[in-house]
Amino acid sequence: MSNSYRVSADIGGTFTDIVIEDLNKKELKNVKVLSTPENPANAVVEGLKKTININEIDFIVHGTTVGLNAFLERKGSKVLLLMTKGVSDSFIISRGDRKELYNVQYKKQKLLISRSDVVNIEERLNWSGEILKELNYQDLDLAIEKIEAENIPAIAICFIHSYVNPIHEIEAKKYLQSKLKNEVEISLSHELAREWREHERASTAIMNSYIGPVINKYLRSLKSQLGEGGYSKQLYIMQSNGGIIRAETAIEQPVKTLLSGPVGGTIGGVALSNAISRKNLVCVDMGGTSFDMSLIIDGKPSITNETELEHLPLLIPLVDIHTIGAGGGSLTWLENNAIRVGPQSAGANPGPACYGKGGEYPTVTDANLFLGRLGKDSKLGGWMQLDVDASEKALTRISKEISMNNIDLAEGIISIINAKMADAIRTITVKKGIDPRDFSLVSFGGAGSMHAVAIAEELEMNEVIVPNNPGTFSAWGMLQTDIRKDLSVNFFNAFSSVSLDDLKKQFELLKAEAIQLLEIENVEKRDMSFFFNADMRYIGQEYYVNISIGENDSMETINKNFHETYLKQYGHSTPSGPLEFINIRLIAEGFIPKGNIAAQKQTANELVKSDQRNVVFKGESHTCPVYERTTLPVKKEIHGPCIIEEETSTTVIPPSYFFFLDDFNNLFIQRKK
Amino acid sequence: MNRSIDPITTEIIRNAFISIAQDMNAVLIRSAYTPVIYEGKDCVVALLDEKGNVLGQSSGLPLFLGNLEICVKETANIHGWDYFKKGDIFFVNDSYFTGTHLNDITIFAPIFHENTLVGFSASRAHWLDVGAKDPGGSMDSTNIYQEGFRWPPTRLYENGSPRTEIIEFLKINGRFGYSLEGDMNAQIAAGKTGEKRFIDTIKRFGIENVKLARDEIFRQTEELERQSVMQLKDGEYFAEGYLDNDGVGLDPVLIKMKVVVKGESIHIDLDGSSPQTNGPVNCGFAQTISACRVAFKLLINPKRPVDGGTFKTFTVEAPEGSIFKAQTPAACQWYFSSLGLVIDAFVKALSPVIKDASAAAHYGDSMVIFIGGVDPRNNVPFLSVEPTCGGWGGFNQFDGADGLINNVNGGFKDIPVEVFEGKYPVTIHNYGFRTDSGGAGKYRGGCGLYREYTVNADGFCSLWFERSVTTAWGLFGGKDGVGPNVKIEYPDGRIENKLKANGQVITKGTVITTFTGGGGGFENPFERDVNRVLLDYQNNYVSIEGAANDYGVVIENSTVNMEKTQALRNSRNS
Repeated sequence: MSNSYRVSADIGGTFTDIVIEDLNKKELKNVKVLSTPENPANAVVEGLKKTININEIDFIVHGTTVGLNAFLERKGSKVLLLMTKGVSDSFIISRGDRKELYNVQYKKQKLLISRSDVVNIEERLNWSGEILKELNYQDLDLAIEKIEAENIPAIAICFIHSYVNPIHEIEAKKYLQSKLKNEVEISLSHELAREWREHERASTAIMNSYIGPVINKYLRSLKSQLGEGGYSKQLYIMQSNGGIIRAETAIEQPVKTLLSGPVGGTIGGVALSNAISRKNLVCVDMGGTSFDMSLIIDGKPSITNETELEHLPLLIPLVDIHTIGAGGGSLTWLENNAIRVGPQSAGANPGPACYGKGGEYPTVTDANLFLGRLGKDSKLGGWMQLDVDASEKALTRISKEISMNNIDLAEGIISIINAKMADAIRTITVKKGIDPRDFSLVSFGGAGSMHAVAIAEELEMNEVIVPNNPGTFSAWGMLQTDIRKDLSVNFFNAFSSVSLDDLKKQFELLKAEAIQLLEIENVEKRDMSFFFNADMRYIGQEYYVNISIGENDSMETINKNFHETYLKQYGHSTPSGPLEFINIRLIAEGFIPKGNIAAQKQTANELVKSDQRNVVFKGESHTCPVYERTTLPVKKEIHGPCIIEEETSTTVIPPSYFFFLDDFNNLFIQRKK
Repeated sequence: MNRSIDPITTEIIRNAFISIAQDMNAVLIRSAYTPVIYEGKDCVVALLDEKGNVLGQSSGLPLFLGNLEICVKETANIHGWDYFKKGDIFFVNDSYFTGTHLNDITIFAPIFHENTLVGFSASRAHWLDVGAKDPGGSMDSTNIYQEGFRWPPTRLYENGSPRTEIIEFLKINGRFGYSLEGDMNAQIAAGKTGEKRFIDTIKRFGIENVKLARDEIFRQTEELERQSVMQLKDGEYFAEGYLDNDGVGLDPVLIKMKVVVKGESIHIDLDGSSPQTNGPVNCGFAQTISACRVAFKLLINPKRPVDGGTFKTFTVEAPEGSIFKAQTPAACQWYFSSLGLVIDAFVKALSPVIKDASAAAHYGDSMVIFIGGVDPRNNVPFLSVEPTCGGWGGFNQFDGADGLINNVNGGFKDIPVEVFEGKYPVTIHNYGFRTDSGGAGKYRGGCGLYREYTVNADGFCSLWFERSVTTAWGLFGGKDGVGPNVKIEYPDGRIENKLKANGQVITKGTVITTFTGGGGGFENPFERDVNRVLLDYQNNYVSIEGAANDYGVVIENSTVNMEKTQALRNSRNS
C-alpha cells in the first residue's frame, strides 16, 4: 500500500517548520530545518525529501514571510502609481497626521514610492459612481512611455470612487495590457478593497505590486521544485485572513498573503479551541525580540479588516495580531538608577549574554538561565550551549550599580517583562470590551512558556495551555483550516433607508461573485459556506462595529445586535440612536477535508524525571525536577515547582501550580486548589 | 535614593500608570461620536493622584499637555479636597478656568478606595457645538457670552446617578445634542476604565506601595529633567512674532517671549505681548502654561512620559489682562492660534544653544475651514469642520515634512476626498503640494498644500487662516516659508482672496481654494546638495525657477548644469 500525506510548512526567518500528517499510519511527524533565505523553497523541499517521498503527498499548504521580508527590507519592485489627476497627491500626503506628538523634527513615514512615481491620469467619477470626466487615453500613453523607458515591472492603479464604479480602473488595465510590450504586474485598487479612502486603497494596491514579483518568483520556484519531486496537485498558501488559497490565486493578490507566516499560530489556536472545548483563548508567541498576541473569541479568530505596517495602511482582512517589543532578548538598562527592560533587544546578534557572542547587558533569557528556569542545554537560540557565567556577569553589571543581589534583579527583570506583556494583553481586551478572566492562555513558540503562568496570574486567568509540539504549532494550524475569500462592497446608507430586501439583494450579488471565486478554487457547491456581516455605526461616527448577519435575521434583529455588540465593546450604547451602514461583507469558505490526526497518546505510566536543578521562585531556591515532555504520563496531576523541557521550548510550573497532559499531548496548567 | 520601595515594583507600577492612561484613551477615541475627537484626536485623558498630580497621561492633542491636573487642583482650591464624594462626576468648560475655548469639555471624577480619596480620572474632549452664536463656534466673537454655555466645575453625576436636568440642559443648548451626549458618555466610559484599573493596581500592590512608587517615579523624572536643563547654557533668550490680527480688527497681534535659563530652571516670560483683544484669540492662563509645557517637552526629554515630576523647575509668567492671561469677558474661541506661535518662538529663542535639537518654524496654525448648508441630496443640514496641513521647518540634516498637521494638533488625519464627497455636497477636484512654498535652506522647509472645494449647495463658509504676517521663519540662514491664502470664486465671476471669514454666504457652484504655508528653511540654501535640489525638482516640490533663484542650481534638460550652478552660486554668495 502506498503512503498518503498531508503536509504544511511554515517558512520563518531562522527555521522552516514542517508538519506531516501520515494518513495511513495516523501519525504526525514534525521536521525542523534551517531556512534558506536565498531561495526559501529549498528548505521546504529538502525537509520533505529527507522524511518522505514527495510524490506520495496529497495536499500541501504553506505559510511564508517572503513577502513580508521583501517589504521590511525594502527589497520589492519599483512601482508606478496611476491616480486621478488633480488629487493624486493625496497618496503622498498620507493624510498628514503625526504619529509622535512631541517631536519638532518629525519625519513622515517612508512610502514605497516617491512623488515622481505617481502619474496623473485624467478621469473622474462622482461619489455615486457617475462619470464626470471620461478616461483620457493620451495620459495612459504617457504612462506607457514612462513604464517602457524606465523598465518598470509593476503598476498600481487607484482612481477616485472606483469602489463604487470600477469602470475606469478596468478600462485602464485593459488598455495597458494591450499596449505594453513586456509583462507587467498591474494591481487595481478596487479589486483589493472595495472601500472608500483613496490613500489607504492606493497604499494597498502599491504594496500588492511591490511584493508581487517577489512572491510570484518564489511561488513558481516552489511549485516547480515540488513538481520535480513528483508533486502535481494544488499548492496552497496561507492568507493573512486565516484561510488558505491556491498559489495561482495568491499570485494575483499577493498582498493578501503578506502575514501568511504569523497567522498560522492563531489558526492553530482555533483548531485547538475546537479540539479541547475551550471557546475563548488568548494566544501568545514570545520570541527573541517580540511578543505576539491574538484572541480567539467564541471559537473564532478575531479578524480585522485593515491594518498598518510601519505606518503604511493596508485594507486587507487579517487575523488581528498585536505585537510589542518584549522577548527573550529584551535588554535591561538603567535610567538614572531606575530599572528598565526593553523594548530594545539584543536580537540574534550579539543576542543574550549567555550566547557568548559579546552581549554585555542582561536580557530576559539571561535572567531565566540564571534562575535555573532555562536549562543550559536549551536550544532556544540555535544549537550552542548557554553560558551561565556570562549571564551572571551581565547581571552583576547592573546589580552592582543599584546595590541589589543578582537573584532579586533576575526575578525583577522577569516580573517587569511579565507585567508589560500582561498590560499589553489587557489593552487588547479592553479595546474589545472583554474580560481576560473568561479566557485560557495558549502559549507556543520559543520563550513564552517560561512566562505564561506568571502572565496568566497577573490577569487572573484560570489556565495556561501549552499545545502539543508548540515549536511547530503554526505549521500544524495551517493543516486545520479551509479556503477563505473575503468580499466586501461599500454600502453607505442610513439604516432607516434600507429594507431587508435591499440588504438581501446586496448579499445575493456578493454570494454570486463568491461562488464563482470558489469554483475557481475547485470547491464543490456542497462544500461552500457563506457568512454575512456588515460594518455599522451610529450616524456621525467614524469607527464602526462589525455585525454578523444570519440568514433569517430581520432588520429589528440586526438593529438589536448592533446595540448589544456596541454596548459590549464600549460599555455604553444609545438604543434609540440612528444607525448607518458603511460596508457589507461576505466571508466565503470552501471546505477542505482534514486529516483528523490527533497526536499519539503518550504511553508512559510512571513519572520519571530526566534531571533536576535549583530554580528560584520569589527569592527562594527550590530543587525542581526536570521532565522530558515526551515521557510524561497522561491525565495525571503533577505538582509544581517543576520544569518541562522539549526540543525548542521550556515550560516553567511555579510552586503553587500543577499540570496534566490530556490524551492529545496538550499541557494544561492550573492553580493548585 | 528611596529604599523603602524596590526598583522592580516601582517600574511595574510606572508601566501600569502609562498603560492605564492608554486604555482610557483607547476607550474615549473609539467610542466618541464626533470626528473632531476620533479623527482629530482633539482630546486628552489622565490618571491623577489624590492631590491631582499626573500619574499617567495619554494625549491626542499635544496642547492639552499638563492641563487636566490644573482643573482638578483649581476645583480643590475653591472648594477644598473634601468636596469630592464617591459617585461624583464633574465637568467644567469655563475658559478662564480651563484656559481653552468653551467647546473643550473637561470631565473628571474622584476615585475612592475603601472610602478614601486615592485619585482622579480625567479627560477633555472637543464637543462639536456648545451653543455659540454660530454653528460649531464663531470666527468673530468679541466676548465669551457669544461663544456658548459656560460652566464652572459642576456635578454631572451625584452618588453614581446622572443629574438628568443638567444633561438635558446641555443637550438642548447645543445644536447637536445627540452627539453631545454620545461624546459625554465616551468621556465617562474612559474615566470608568481608568478608575477600575487604578483600583486593581491598588488592590494588588497596596495603597502605601503605590504611593511610594509614585514618589519615586516623580523623583526620577524630576532629576532627569534637572540634569537636562543643567546642560543648557545659562542666559536670556528672545523671540517674537505676530498673529495677522485678532479675527475682528486689522492690527497684527504681538507675541513676545523671553526665556531665562538659570542652572536647573527655565522661566518663560511673555511680558510685552499684546493686551487681550476684542477678537477671539485670547486664552486663560492655564492653557498658556500648557502650550509652554509642549514647547519645553519638544526640547527636554521628549520621549519620557509626563508625570507629576515633570515641569518642576519650569515656570511661566504672562501679564494680567494680556492675550495669555485673559479676563472676563474676553473672547477665547481661537485660543490656540497664539499658542502655536509661542511654541515655535520657544524653539527659536533657544536655537542658538541647542542647534542640533532645534528646527525652523512650521506653517503655524490649524488653518480651519467650515463649510455648511443643506445637502440637496437628502435635505439634511451639514457642517464640515476641517483643519488643514502645511509645511514644517527644516532641521539639522533633514528637510521639514511636507503637508503635516500643525504643532498644537496631534493625530489629526485629513478627510479623504472620497469620504468628504460621500458625506458632504462638495467635490474636491484638486488637492496637492504647493511647489516652492517651503522656505529654502540647506535643509528646506516642507511644502504647504492647496485644496479646492466646489460646493454643490447654497450655504456658508467660515475661515480661520493665519500667519501671513509672520510666516514660518528660517533659522541659521534658511529662508522663510511662503504664507497662506484662501481664494473664493463665486458663480457670478467675483473672486475674493481672504484669510478669515465668518458665515460668508456662498451659492451653489462656489469654488474655494485653500493654500497653506510652507515651513522655514534651515541653513544657507546655496549650500544645499545639488542632487537634493534636482530630486526636489523631479518631485515638483521645487520649480526650475525656484531651483535657480532660491538655491542657485541651474537645471537644464532634467539635469544639473554644474558649471552654471557654480557660477550662479558664486555670484550670489559674494
